[in-house]
Amino acid sequence: MPQMNLAEALIDGLIWSLRKDPKATIIGRGMAGHGPEHHAEDRLKAEFASRMVDPPTSEAAVAQLGVGAAMTGMRPFVHYGTAVFAYEAWNQFVNEAANVHYMSNGQIKAPVTFHLFHGIRGGGGPQHSGSPYAMYANNPGLEIVMPSGPRDAKGLIRAAMASDNPTIVMQHALLLGLTEEVPEEDYMIPLGKAEVKRQGKDVSVIACSRSVVDAMEAATELAKEGIDVEVVDIRSIAPLDVDTIVASVRKTGRMVAADETYEICGVASELIATVSIHAWSALKAAPVRVARPMTPVPFSPPLEKAVTPGVSKIADACRKACGR
Amino acid sequence: MTGATREVRLAQFERMLRMRRFEEMVIRLAQKHEYIGRQHLHIGHEATGSAVAMAMQPGDKIHTTHRNHGYVIATGADPGRAFAEILGRNDGLNGGKGGSWHLCDVSTGMLSTSAMVGGSIALATGAAYGLKLQGAKNISFAHFGDGTLDEGVCYEALNLASLFELPVLFVCENNSKAGQRPSSMLAAARLRDIPQALQIENMIVDGADADAARVMFAQAAERVRSTGKPVFVECTLERWPGSHQVTAAFPTGVTDLALAFEQEKISGKHAEWIKSSDPILRATRAFVESGTATRDELAALDARVTTLMEDARAFAEASPFPEPAAAFSGVFA
Ligand SMILES: Cc1ncc(C[n+]2csc(CCOP(=O)(O)OP(=O)(O)O)c2C)c(N)n1
Ligand SMILES: [Mg+2]
Repeated sequence: MPQMNLAEALIDGLIWSLRKDPKATIIGRGMAGHGPEHHAEDRLKAEFASRMVDPPTSEAAVAQLGVGAAMTGMRPFVHYGTAVFAYEAWNQFVNEAANVHYMSNGQIKAPVTFHLFHGIRGGGGPQHSGSPYAMYANNPGLEIVMPSGPRDAKGLIRAAMASDNPTIVMQHALLLGLTEEVPEEDYMIPLGKAEVKRQGKDVSVIACSRSVVDAMEAATELAKEGIDVEVVDIRSIAPLDVDTIVASVRKTGRMVAADETYEICGVASELIATVSIHAWSALKAAPVRVARPMTPVPFSPPLEKAVTPGVSKIADACRKACGR
Repeated sequence: MTGATREVRLAQFERMLRMRRFEEMVIRLAQKHEYIGRQHLHIGHEATGSAVAMAMQPGDKIHTTHRNHGYVIATGADPGRAFAEILGRNDGLNGGKGGSWHLCDVSTGMLSTSAMVGGSIALATGAAYGLKLQGAKNISFAHFGDGTLDEGVCYEALNLASLFELPVLFVCENNSKAGQRPSSMLAAARLRDIPQALQIENMIVDGADADAARVMFAQAAERVRSTGKPVFVECTLERWPGSHQVTAAFPTGVTDLALAFEQEKISGKHAEWIKSSDPILRATRAFVESGTATRDELAALDARVTTLMEDARAFAEASPFPEPAAAFSGVFA
């Protein structure tokens, strides 16, 4: 199996999407980011330049270009280089795309995929560090996936492009260089299927996106202290795989919810609510939340670090859940 | 020439030099302090920025974009505190919370840098509305790039300014360039057809010509003050080759005023920009050729500005990082 970094894997997923479906089309540029991995996009351009368009800085109308084309049967992949740019397209995401199918009483579908680089990224400051997927999750009708590694990125992008619903793929900007073995052939990972990334018996860390990577590192560290951590990657907040999450917490009896959206009304809060409702009796200790505190993301490096969920905060949360 | 006094022209040139030497120091700081990352430098736009700043009066407001440093310095912010902000230090203009992309200084009327394309134009329109509601004699300035015209909010803001007769001066720095990836993609053949369609008085100026820009902005600001209505000025600029640098570098070298007179020494990929598009060298030549100032006078001024920036850098680098707890203060007023 070839090694791919996340940028290469997501481009591979796109290439397969375009090969398999003549209706698939791309709006945007810089899908592999602007960092050292950006060359991954060259393969896509080499094969499919004629099915790609580089739009002006017009996020609102560009979103509708995608939604409107999707309503005619196309499958557009619309890329936003930084998730916050899509704030300009708020109405288009949550009020148009999300509602099309429901308010037409199922007559019309909007199979558009929005692809956004999110996250606290080092120096992004208050306006470039947003991770808006909890906000998106407050809108029924949108599927929202957050790949945590190359293999998932490829398979989830394929599934997003094949889905009949508007799907938002949230890619953490700092994970693009992450490398692992990725199958060369075409495959999909079904939306709404969590994955246990590490088996453990003492505490379940339920996480997504970059927090999965951090949780895996924390687990290695905690193993040395005799704490056996299970890491569950939810992979999508909508749909949410309640069964896998609940099964894990039933097994360990302890829960840490780790995610980079905000503490209030964020993904971690939703995970804790889900477990409280479905596995209350299995909990041996109060769930612990590791999330973005309710402050804008400051530019200054030590301040940015103070607001970033990360390995040590997740490890501390696990110790706390385990009464250490 | 324009009949302007030597003092006014030299005062503008000093601002331009401050802007240029500030940006060159930012490149050095970015090379030294890796994390300060990507900077959008205002090099090549100094004639425009200085002219805008000189057209401002106490109490006027300005909103700017990601390409903001020049305006911050030209409008009179302390360069040491600006460097400190770019380095994320405690003495920064924003206490380290904003960084390069959000420099502001309420004492100079610089109300915000919005790093969102399309942010400044509508905010400045709102500032004009606020000033008008309060019966102030002041006006508002909106600095933005041609990229702002890609955004829908631009059309909405221009329309509002025209409908509500708001005292706002729209400063459009058009550095788009075919050949490279342009910074805007507009079906309109002429940018000014856009404000024109919305009944906004509009003008065009060579944004790298210090005298022309100064005269244009003095007139335009006067129009806005006397009519209370918006004016749109398009400033044409030849994009500086480092304007989208990912790694900090000096693609056109460190500015050397002597090159204004030693064109044969200019070579390399970007020789053309240095020879004919650098507003600092153009102004230097104009001074000497018109007999307004000597090469030695200009060199002495440059040396003073360079020392000032060196001191400002030292101040910024000596400033400590804020305490982590500062991350949580100031969320609410
Ligand atoms: C809403 C939004 N979309 C996209 C971006 C990314 N972006 C940063 S600078 C830039 C180009 C802006 O061009 P222009 O306004 O002409 O300014 P210039 O950099 O040419 O001075 C873009 C698209 C952004 N900052 N905000
Ligand atoms: Mg531009």
